[in-house]
Amino acid sequence: MFELLGAGLANLMQLKYLVPLFFGTLAGIIGGALPGVTITMTIIVVLPFTFGLDPLQGLAAMTGVYVGGSAGGLVTAVLLGLPGTPSAIATTFDGHVMAKKGEPGRALWLGIWASFFGGLIGGVFLIAATEPLARIALEFGPWEFFSLFILALSMVAGLVEGSLIKGLIAGALGCVVTILGSDPVMGQERLTLGVPFLRGGIDFLPVLIGVFAFAQIMTELERGAGPQRAAALARAANLTVRHLRVIWEILSRPFLLLWTSFIGVLIGVLPAIGGSAASMMAYDQAKKLSKHPERFGTGTPEGIVASESSNNANVGGSLVTIMAFGIPGDAVTAVMLGALTIHGIQSGPLFISQNAPLAYGMFAAYLVAHPIMVAALWVGSRWMLRVTTVPQAVLFPVVLVLCVIGAYALNNTMGNVYILLSFGVLGYAMVKFGFPLAPFILGVILGDQIEINLIRAIMTDPNPWLFLTRPISGVLIAGSVASFAFALWQHRRQQRRAAQNADGDADY
Amino acid sequence: MRLGRDGWAGLAVLTASLVLFGLTLGLKDSPLVPIGPGFYPRIVLGVTAVLAAWLVVTELLAAKRARPMPPAHYGMVALMFAVFGLYVLALPLLGFRVATFAYVAAANALLDPPRGARGWTRVALVALLTAAATYVIFERYLTVLLPRGSWTGF
Repeated sequence: MFELLGAGLANLMQLKYLVPLFFGTLAGIIGGALPGVTITMTIIVVLPFTFGLDPLQGLAAMTGVYVGGSAGGLVTAVLLGLPGTPSAIATTFDGHVMAKKGEPGRALWLGIWASFFGGLIGGVFLIAATEPLARIALEFGPWEFFSLFILALSMVAGLVEGSLIKGLIAGALGCVVTILGSDPVMGQERLTLGVPFLRGGIDFLPVLIGVFAFAQIMTELERGAGPQRAAALARAANLTVRHLRVIWEILSRPFLLLWTSFIGVLIGVLPAIGGSAASMMAYDQAKKLSKHPERFGTGTPEGIVASESSNNANVGGSLVTIMAFGIPGDAVTAVMLGALTIHGIQSGPLFISQNAPLAYGMFAAYLVAHPIMVAALWVGSRWMLRVTTVPQAVLFPVVLVLCVIGAYALNNTMGNVYILLSFGVLGYAMVKFGFPLAPFILGVILGDQIEINLIRAIMTDPNPWLFLTRPISGVLIAGSVASFAFALWQHRRQQRRAAQNADGDADY
Repeated sequence: MRLGRDGWAGLAVLTASLVLFGLTLGLKDSPLVPIGPGFYPRIVLGVTAVLAAWLVVTELLAAKRARPMPPAHYGMVALMFAVFGLYVLALPLLGFRVATFAYVAAANALLDPPRGARGWTRVALVALLTAAATYVIFERYLTVLLPRGSWTGF
């Protein structure tokens, strides 16, 4: 393992890999710093630039976006009180307060260095866990894969905020998308509705790009053009800091750093929960375990460290599921999965054994992206704030043009652009009707794999009880049922609380 | 009982899944494999229909208070979708360069209406720079082919 990692690092040190990694990290930081532009949107924009690159160059750029974006959100969160990404929301609680109290440099660098250390802890987990997990997955038959994908889908549908039924419907609709086109066994045309470009089925990348880009851009437009964000406070702020002192502030709290990073990794491994849940949960844990919970929200360093270390450790966890099982942990890794497919590489348990140089190159890119992220923020944190003043009138059309290029360039046909537009409308409608997008996308990605494994299992042995009686498959199905039951219980509890609050409101 | 937003959404999904389910009944099974092409779609569409019906029933049974919706610029959203739709239609006819220039100019002018000659110069510059930069980067540098126009020939 260490030999392969060493080779991966040596390989990555070539300029042809460092350049895309650097620009990817920079793009991630800028995208992360822009309030209203998520990491998903940034990686969608970067995707078409990777088409002409070799697989490792493309994946290095995307890994950089992921790492940079996870840290970039903290710049505006700390200095302007505007979290650049949802995962930086918890950072504002103490980061912005500390900045307002006259220590913007300390607040910013506590966040950056906590991101760095949290990310590296996530990296250790990524490197250590991927291969053993992939080895376990290699023992899986079609029953186990079917059950694993059902577990992933039911977890995502159940764990989304809001309505459980809508989460389940969104996941089912995602699977419906995969049945349009042709059946995977005999290639017979089915449910194409007379539309010629549906004959080959629907690629998930234009669906993903359309759904996320339009849902976000149109929702922003709905609110109207906001006032240009004044970066006056930030421009005037003194960001000079003694780095060794800041690093010591973080490392002198090893339990906090390790525990909140562990939470980040764990949330990352679970599909589609995301960095925002990780940072909020870590913040909450740090507060509960602190000797001075009353200091949280008043500019305490623990709050910043908890939020940012878990947020970046989350990236490592997300990459584990895609590399070991081929299941994207979130929308960002879903785009990375698409990028792998474009280059003809199948992710999943065989990925690491069949593409060891690429896999370890990705590990190396993940590790190297962290010092690049620190260096980029060192040089440009103040300059980054000027980026937030880019007008939406320029940003949004350019982003949509890049989305068109990304969809068109997949196989040089307009069919994918029509799919992009159609699913853009659907994505926006889903947001307006309160349907979560994450289970929908996971359904689109896993739908055909669920079908293939179901058919393989039945063709091997038509006994349906095997899904329950084979030990691993049985455990995974039990996990699906448990996650569904937990989600049902949680939603009922939320409804009861909401009803009690409503009654309380009525009394007053 | 009146249907709310969720009820209408559930009805739409229910109708679509039932129509597609009906279409799967016309799919012919192959004698070579024990499972036909309609087997899995029927499961997925059946589950979707049941969930959608569940949503409709839940909506009907719940006595929800109507929540006021925040004010929103839906007109602008519709306009941007329309302009993007025209862009998509124009791409195979006008080609990437011309269609992108026109789209970015239109979208930029709609989102930030230009005032006077200076404003129109800004719109033209943003559109020209976007079309030119994306063309050069993708087609020339990254060798990604971009759509050619059947009317313009480039």
